[in-house]
Amino acid sequence: MTQHDNHGARSAQKQADTDVALGKGLDIGTANFAAAVQNEDGGITVTVERNAFLDIPSDVYSKNMLTKLKVPYVVHNGKLVVIGEAAFELANVFGRETRRPMCDGLISPNEVDALPMMKLIISKILGEPRTAGENCYFCVPAPSLDVDNNVVYHQGLFESMINKMGFNAHAINEAHAVIFAELAESDFTGIGLSFGGGMANACIAYKSIPCLSFSVARGGDWIDKNVANVLGCPRSKATYIKERGIDIRDPKSREEEAVTIYYRSLISYVLTNIKARFESGQNMPSFNTPVDIACAGGTSLVGGFIEVFREEFAKIDFPIPVGRIFRSEEALTAVAKGCLVAAAIGES
Amino acid sequence: METVNDIRHALSARSRTATLEQLASEGRKRVRLIKAEHVAAMIAAAVHAAVDESGLVSKEEADKLVERSRDEFRSLMRDRQAEVQRLAEVEDLLRARDQEIAALKAQLAGGGAGVAGAAGTASAGTAATAAAAPEISAALEKLAGSLNDRLEKLGRKMGISAAVEGEEVKFDGLFKDTGKSLESNMENIQVKQKAGGGIAANLERLKKLKGGS
Repeated sequence: MTQHDNHGARSAQKQADTDVALGKGLDIGTANFAAAVQNEDGGITVTVERNAFLDIPSDVYSKNMLTKLKVPYVVHNGKLVVIGEAAFELANVFGRETRRPMCDGLISPNEVDALPMMKLIISKILGEPRTAGENCYFCVPAPSLDVDNNVVYHQGLFESMINKMGFNAHAINEAHAVIFAELAESDFTGIGLSFGGGMANACIAYKSIPCLSFSVARGGDWIDKNVANVLGCPRSKATYIKERGIDIRDPKSREEEAVTIYYRSLISYVLTNIKARFESGQNMPSFNTPVDIACAGGTSLVGGFIEVFREEFAKIDFPIPVGRIFRSEEALTAVAKGCLVAAAIGES
Repeated sequence: METVNDIRHALSARSRTATLEQLASEGRKRVRLIKAEHVAAMIAAAVHAAVDESGLVSKEEADKLVERSRDEFRSLMRDRQAEVQRLAEVEDLLRARDQEIAALKAQLAGGGAGVAGAAGTASAGTAATAAAAPEISAALEKLAGSLNDRLEKLGRKMGISAAVEGEEVKFDGLFKDTGKSLESNMENIQVKQKAGGGIAANLERLKKLKGGS
């Protein structure tokens, strides 16, 4: 028996003892990375890191300070590159913009030299595979209705990256993952919506089988960009305003008012596009009973999101009978959780 | 001759029928008679005369036109008769299939009862169906091809189908420089972790849907 076989046997025994399903789920988001794994208590553990970087001049003093402050960094091309949430916080302190390796849900053509840093973060949050070739399902966006994009390069790049880490990588549609995470009670029949940083993804599924999926290239970043434009501040600052715990039903300042306006506009835009796509009738299933709509994604975390969503939904004549409209209780991590479900069941 | 018939119909539609007594009561003692053929000939002569006088078409060309029109009419008649014939054949085929279906239904419902009686009809239907078999199989193949295309397109859009993985492009080259270790303090940094609800219920539901234990 080889060392590899021994490792596999130990893992299998461990799985039997703890009933922990193998497999990992990875949400590769424009704003955040999240990796989900089943833990021994029957729950899941999700590791989250912001998908952002900040270059600062490299010197011994800065490096020591970052180490003392437990701020993650990488030395790359002679520069100190602060990674993740810390980069976002530092950018706000210094009034700078973070570097964003992804844009509109896909790898940004302007940030190809950020690949080593992304690989580091993904490796950190995923950890080692528990068996050689352990399943890792990662999310990819669907083709967009409103921009001409191509997910082939994006998907292939992350597939290769994850495979190189020793996993067996599989892609799954982002909104389909929301259905796996949130619509178990409806036998995985309904509409999953993922409001991410770069995109809003939609998927309609019947008994776990995706019938139709697509995206629109607007998300949290679109709100940030517009808020930053009207307020005359960096986007990182706009992101901070958006994420500091506001309620879009009750804005308290001019800044919050701006966020509220663009949130409502985003929700309306997404719903209008979904309606138009559903009405076009191609590949559309017909439902005898109302289906649920599950919303997830970091952009849906803002206070009052689901109430505003319901208000905007009531304004349109939706072509499908709809039952519950709800936001995931774990909106930020629902996609990673759905990927984990797919990985554990070996969905392909 | 068609012209004569047409004229006869036109005359019939635009004239009235009266008995000799009626005519006598109207004070008419004599009437002049003319045959429909003569009227047709007169009309043809009048048309030819008008055409001649117009100088637009020579008499020979006018005759040719008349002849071509007649040929065209006959050709249309033949086509229409052929269509009627085809329609009758299709109706026969449909009747035969209906009879075959009825026989098969009876066979299924009665567990064999009445099969003997229906057998003769069914065999007649089968013969008709056999004639149409190549058309049906071609249509089925076309439908299957169309469905496959649509499924493939759908799978690609979803990003989950074998079709997507089948077109795999190797991007390993992009990471040839990332294998070398970068100076970093990542190994000493704890990343944020969140606890989430379990997935056991989701997995159980999915297994049930898939028909597993």
